[in-house]
Amino acid sequence: MTAKSEGKSLLREVWDALSFSEIRTAMRVVLSHMFVKPVTFQYPREKRTIPDAHRGALGLLRYDDGAERCVGCDLCEAACPSRCIKVVSAENPERPLSRYATEFYIDITKCVFCGYCVEACPVNALAMTKMYEYATADKRQLIFDKKRLYEVGEKHIEDAKRYLYAHNQEKNDAESFQYRYKFPHQVAGLTPPQDS
Amino acid sequence: MALKPVTSPDVEAPPIRLTVDGQQVEAKQGVSLYDVISQTGKTIPAMCYHYTFDPFGSCGMCLVMVEGKKAPVRSCTAKAEAGMVVRCEGEDLFLARKKAVEKHLTVHPLDCPVCDADGHCELQDMAFQHGVTNLVNAKPKGLPEDRRSLVLDFNMNRCILCGECINICKDVQMVDALQFFKKEGTTHVVAKGDEGLVCEFCGDCLAVCPVGAITNKYSKYVYKPWQLKKTTSTCAYCADGCQMYIETSGKGVQRVTSPLSWKNKWGDRAETAKGHGGLCVRGRFGFQYIDSKERLGAPLVRTEEGFAPRSWFEVMDTVIGRLKALKAQHGPNAIAGLITARCTNEELYLFQKLMRTAIGTNQVDSSARYGHLNFTRALQHAAGVGRVMNGYEEITKANVLLLIGTDITETNPVASLRVKEAIRVYGAQAIVATSRMTNIAKLASHPLRIAAGSERSFIQALVKAAVEEDLVDEAATTAAPEAFAALKAAVGGLSWDVLTARTGTSRAVAVESVRLYAEAPKAVILCAEGVTRQVEGYASVLNLVDLAWVTGKLTRPGCGVSALPEEANEQGAVDMGVAPELLPGQALYGDEEARGKFATAWRCSLPPPDPSATLMEILKRCRDGGIKALYLVGENPLATLPASTGVREALEKVELLVCQDPFLTETGRLAHVVLPATTFAEKDGTFTNLEGKVNRVRPALEPYEEARPDWEIFAALGTGLGYPMEYEAAQDVQREIMKLLPGYYNLGEARPVIATPEGYLRNGFAHTVAVRYAAGSEADGARPFALTIGQVLYHSGKLSTRASGLVQLYPSKGRLQMNPEDLAQLQIGPQDVVRVTSAGASVELRTEANPDLARGTCFFPEHFNEPPIKDLAECVVDPTTGVPAFKFTRVAIEKH
Repeated sequence: MTAKSEGKSLLREVWDALSFSEIRTAMRVVLSHMFVKPVTFQYPREKRTIPDAHRGALGLLRYDDGAERCVGCDLCEAACPSRCIKVVSAENPERPLSRYATEFYIDITKCVFCGYCVEACPVNALAMTKMYEYATADKRQLIFDKKRLYEVGEKHIEDAKRYLYAHNQEKNDAESFQYRYKFPHQVAGLTPPQDS
Repeated sequence: MALKPVTSPDVEAPPIRLTVDGQQVEAKQGVSLYDVISQTGKTIPAMCYHYTFDPFGSCGMCLVMVEGKKAPVRSCTAKAEAGMVVRCEGEDLFLARKKAVEKHLTVHPLDCPVCDADGHCELQDMAFQHGVTNLVNAKPKGLPEDRRSLVLDFNMNRCILCGECINICKDVQMVDALQFFKKEGTTHVVAKGDEGLVCEFCGDCLAVCPVGAITNKYSKYVYKPWQLKKTTSTCAYCADGCQMYIETSGKGVQRVTSPLSWKNKWGDRAETAKGHGGLCVRGRFGFQYIDSKERLGAPLVRTEEGFAPRSWFEVMDTVIGRLKALKAQHGPNAIAGLITARCTNEELYLFQKLMRTAIGTNQVDSSARYGHLNFTRALQHAAGVGRVMNGYEEITKANVLLLIGTDITETNPVASLRVKEAIRVYGAQAIVATSRMTNIAKLASHPLRIAAGSERSFIQALVKAAVEEDLVDEAATTAAPEAFAALKAAVGGLSWDVLTARTGTSRAVAVESVRLYAEAPKAVILCAEGVTRQVEGYASVLNLVDLAWVTGKLTRPGCGVSALPEEANEQGAVDMGVAPELLPGQALYGDEEARGKFATAWRCSLPPPDPSATLMEILKRCRDGGIKALYLVGENPLATLPASTGVREALEKVELLVCQDPFLTETGRLAHVVLPATTFAEKDGTFTNLEGKVNRVRPALEPYEEARPDWEIFAALGTGLGYPMEYEAAQDVQREIMKLLPGYYNLGEARPVIATPEGYLRNGFAHTVAVRYAAGSEADGARPFALTIGQVLYHSGKLSTRASGLVQLYPSKGRLQMNPEDLAQLQIGPQDVVRVTSAGASVELRTEANPDLARGTCFFPEHFNEPPIKDLAECVVDPTTGVPAFKFTRVAIEKH
């Protein structure tokens, strides 16, 4: 203290001491931040807006008529670098000549959210959503089965479609059905996906 | 005329020289240019080519530039000429090939994600290789799928019209069930006559289809090729020893494939003489039993309320305790064992070792006793060979094939392809003596209709004709003049009147057949159930050996006498000594020296040769109360033997009946203890096929629930009974067999065999020859019909009736097959019930017409006991080998 105050005049020192100048200096920073918009969020109460291309939890999608899009082709399984997908397929008993997945598992604990599976899917049955809140005390809950994946897909259908548009996999107009994969009539008999 | 394949040995053409990509190549004139190029090691893409048949030239991929020609030519259908200058690579050729791929793709539906061939598709590979990314004017055909067939679905949208399926069916299988057919403006591949495909369902068309146009109903949509684990193993149905890939996913077996595939399209045509790598309907589509729900999952013990599952520990303790008590009380000969020849060599070896050492009885037998032992015993006695004398290659390259008493396309479908190849490629003459018009008889140059059950007389007639017409080989007969004189005298005693009446053929036919046979440089005799499973089967095989001997065919290379065993490892069962008269390596059990050798190796004394018991003797002793405990491994005598043999009484009489089987069989229901065993797909080991080739069996799956491989159970039993059998794996057993039988496991080629008939001809021949050429008793006129209980293509034993795929193809119809003319004569309609009466029993059932059967004969598949038609049969036991003959009966049929 003595060494620092050597350069200052006595008057100045007295004035500084009387006017709490050090506290003022410190408070200026604090007070100035009171009027600035905070960069942090009050997390569970407030949520960040997530971009459409965000890679979140995976969901399975249906066509607008309710039919499952997935044809059980196993390409997602083949594309997956962390081998977290398992598909078991069979012939659809209700619609002969069409293949569907009887079981579908994604081990989300292993998933690296690369999005390759979505890219590999020829019918856009898989999409990534903006869902990221699936923390649980039971790790077994993190192996998403077919039912869970469809639930995710249904709940986040808007996000999923936006994800596909953002990644240029599905288009908004009538040509979207032309854009990617098309099944012959008698094999699929499906309706074109409608615009969202 | 089709182009000759370059490697076929029958190509007789002047050698020429031509240039391929600047390299000088030697070839034969007129062969396919494609073959010449692939011989240099270059692979030109070709989607319609496969080495097993002649080039077809439909895909337009195998383009090459020939100097002097403006446009690229298709090398597969071009003939190699002297001085040709050929270029196989270059930008122009790449673009021309790319155009060809694009041409195929414009009409292809591109439904790869749902196609079963996705990832195993030549069109995909080609599109990728040639960088086809853009298609203009794509016009898929939009055709409905042809699902009329029971097994195969034809999706003509995906078809590239390569014709491989049609060619393999026509050229290799000689079934010719498929054809091109124009309808709705496009070309389709359909079954002949545009109907639902009904054929032998070998599935070779499925294997060679380079795209997903032909798919398999049994595994449709359930897999993608990259998801499956492939295990190379050997088929457990018949003794052909086909190599198969069991493809499994976590759930179980998804499909079965074989080395035959569009992927292996480059090969040496001459190699197909050893096999083309395909499978038959049983191997390819009969896999469902492996993970069937009916499998036994835990050991069962009979209690008052029925079977109750118990732990292995408890059950083994019970079995060992009971066996020990019975042995202490009644001696080791109160215990006997029977094993099926569907077990591996290691298990067969261990079983007879267990019975002979730990238990100490020689009452041990296998299902080779149902017929194959007639053949091996006869051949070992006469020629010192003890197995089939000719491998596949010798059968293929024979000039004359004499098939007696075999329906080879039904019993051994893949071995029958060797006969077909001999006929088609090598121009062999086939003499097929059979009562029914079998598929092989339809292809043969000399189909002889002989009376049902007269194989024995027909063989006698052949030998008689050979001797009388002096078609004998000087060198062979002069070496053993006494034997020849005895044979001459014996056949002299037979009268042609009796022989022609019995066989229904004239002397001229017998003479012509034997002349063909005797004059051929390479002639092979093939016989099967019609000889070895008949009454006097042992003598008939010896008569066939006589025929080969007098015509000089016994010791000549490329000739011989061969029989087709039924079950996968019957030859192995004989080689492993699972018969009371044999030790491993087919050493005779009566031979003190051989017994000494095994006694030293096994460190215990072996039971004396007396009392021994073969299958029928064991059952008799069970009935008499001499045998108190019976150990059955995979055997099901109750469903196999006719009721007149008293098999049920025998099994009910024994105090301890232990059944070890993957399924709960009819016999198993009578058992006190049932042990769950594994199928071939879950165990390690080897099978010996009919050629004598040892093939590996590898585990494709973990054992079903608590089932254990048979060898593990044997080892545990042996150790429990106080004879340590400490094996950790099947390989340990294998190592022990290797030490005792050096050279047995020469994996790969079968050892060539050399017949040594000298000893047999010098000693003992003259004593038995007169008996062997006795005319036998006359058929009973009161029962005019000949009933054969035999094998059909879609089944093998009782095992295949557990495979849902095969049952779907050939269900238990419960109908007696008869000639339509007989049916008309007896005025039997399809809904009428007939009563079939034999000497001892009668059965009522419906009939169905089968025009292939001769008049006066009827047929029932042996795989089904509904109605119990096997009980009509009487059982005649061969005096020498103890083989029970019960597959042929004379019956009366009347409308009920």
